[in-house]
Amino acid sequence: MNEQTVAPDIAVRVSDLRMRYGSNDVLHGVSFTIRRGEVLVLLGPNGAGKTTTIEILEGFRLPSAGEVTVLGENPATAGEEWRSRVGVVLQSWRDHARWRVWELLEHLGSFYQPYSTPDRPRPYPTDELIETVGLTEHRGRKVSTLSGGQRRRLDVAIGIVGRPELLFLDEPTAGFDPAARRDFHDLVHSLSDLQDTTILLTTHDLDEAEKLADRILILNHGRIVADGSADELARAVAGSAEVRWMQDGVRQVHSTPDPTGFVRELFAQERVGGDIGSSITDLEVQRPSLESTYLTMVSQAQELAPAQEVVR
Amino acid sequence: MSAPMYAARCGARRGRIEFMNSVRAGQDIAYYVIFSLALLVVLWLSRDSTVPGTDVSVATFMLPGLLALQVVFAGAFGIATLLATEREDGTLLRLKAIPYGTVGYVAGQLVRVCFEIAFSMVIVLLPAAFFVPNLLSDGFGAALGAVGYLLLGLLAVVPLGFIIGSVFKNPRSVGGWGMLVMVAVVWVSGIFSPLATMATWVQILGQLTPTYWLGLGLRSTLLPEAAVAAEIDGSWRTLMTIAVLTAWAIGGMILAPVLLRRMARRESGSSVAARREKALQRV
Repeated sequence: MNEQTVAPDIAVRVSDLRMRYGSNDVLHGVSFTIRRGEVLVLLGPNGAGKTTTIEILEGFRLPSAGEVTVLGENPATAGEEWRSRVGVVLQSWRDHARWRVWELLEHLGSFYQPYSTPDRPRPYPTDELIETVGLTEHRGRKVSTLSGGQRRRLDVAIGIVGRPELLFLDEPTAGFDPAARRDFHDLVHSLSDLQDTTILLTTHDLDEAEKLADRILILNHGRIVADGSADELARAVAGSAEVRWMQDGVRQVHSTPDPTGFVRELFAQERVGGDIGSSITDLEVQRPSLESTYLTMVSQAQELAPAQEVVR
Repeated sequence: MSAPMYAARCGARRGRIEFMNSVRAGQDIAYYVIFSLALLVVLWLSRDSTVPGTDVSVATFMLPGLLALQVVFAGAFGIATLLATEREDGTLLRLKAIPYGTVGYVAGQLVRVCFEIAFSMVIVLLPAAFFVPNLLSDGFGAALGAVGYLLLGLLAVVPLGFIIGSVFKNPRSVGGWGMLVMVAVVWVSGIFSPLATMATWVQILGQLTPTYWLGLGLRSTLLPEAAVAAEIDGSWRTLMTIAVLTAWAIGGMILAPVLLRRMARRESGSSVAARREKALQRV
């Protein structure tokens, strides 16, 4: 009996994952879970261990220690049936340069045919998929002639051609222009909403993380330094909301962990002051952006674990 | 149909597409044509001389060896180069990420190499038929025997290609070292002059290569019976030929999957990226 039956709503469970290359520790006991249908964004600076983590979950790399369960199986030993349920988009490809877009998708999709079920017909119909990723006008072109962004969209299409239950995306939008990026975000939303696909995505684009994530995991120097929704992460950084207002012609700024309470107080004082003091105008409460939260967390973590120089 | 069988069928279609893609790409066609032209020139130049001690034309003697060479070249060297290249560009990893993709990949390579060998043989055999004497004088049965030897030879050298390709780290070292080995193999395999006339140590080395045995097998079916005089021991050694080629095939088929699996296991996105970085730095 596999663990899936024990926890049917958990797609990925990682506990105390460690990775060491030689004497170099890349992951120091990483633990997290991903619920089915969730979009989890793994955020972190270069060399934080994002790619190593995702490669272990994909079954492409053996961890030094720790337990990993992906769709109820250990990815290191899982068979081909498990492969058919997992979609993989790596950081960059330049394979199959001579193939035509349509031909390649049709071919790679055909391997999923034996795994088709009535509620999850596999593979995705080629033409429909090409249209979904916006490559219809390029369907007959050779892969080598696609632009970087078009190529990336083809990679995403190949990642989802088998209608995966779980999709790994390693920096999927690197090199996208803003329009392609927005299209891609729509695609991720529709995969997650309509097909109930669980998605693990790595990025160092904070804006993207905020747009897509149900939950964000910040990884820094091989440790998880934050875990929560964008709002939760922002709130977790203490004393960070900023209140600005105008009074007596002077611009005032105050930083507070409890902006609501502070504003209530502010207006109470204004009322007490009566017509002696002038009224408050231009009130503004600013929550910290994910960017400042992220930078704060990463630098805090750096102070906690200095001496560690980590490569990937 | 079982899933691996289904994947092998997908792979067969892959092989056909890969071959068509390579025919469409001009540089590959040019490569086939130049290689075949070189062989034809060698045959043409030697059409009038005879193998010492026999009345068999040197061109007739050489042709079966050249066919053997084409099989070894495409099957071993060609597959090794392609495997190393496709490991570097991520093709292999892409197929590893899909169910039974590696089965499909191997099936695809087999089908592609069959098409490629058939194609390059036709390019050589069609013109050669006009000036090489006694070609196919033994009729249809001999041709069938030759095809049998070619298939057996293919089974003997293709695993070798996978083994070489999985041992070397990148296509450039396969190109360098592999080419050197190929030249040595051609020299000791008795393709251009009978092995029986060469030094003993060359004979020993030659008989260690599948190229020699495949050439011998093909000569036994394609050449007139009198030509046997030019062979070692004055015999076609048919049973020995089949035994040696089969041994190569079995040995390769045992070893190749082990090495392929080991190689595939080590593939990951970051290892592909790291190799690419290195390749770009060198250029």
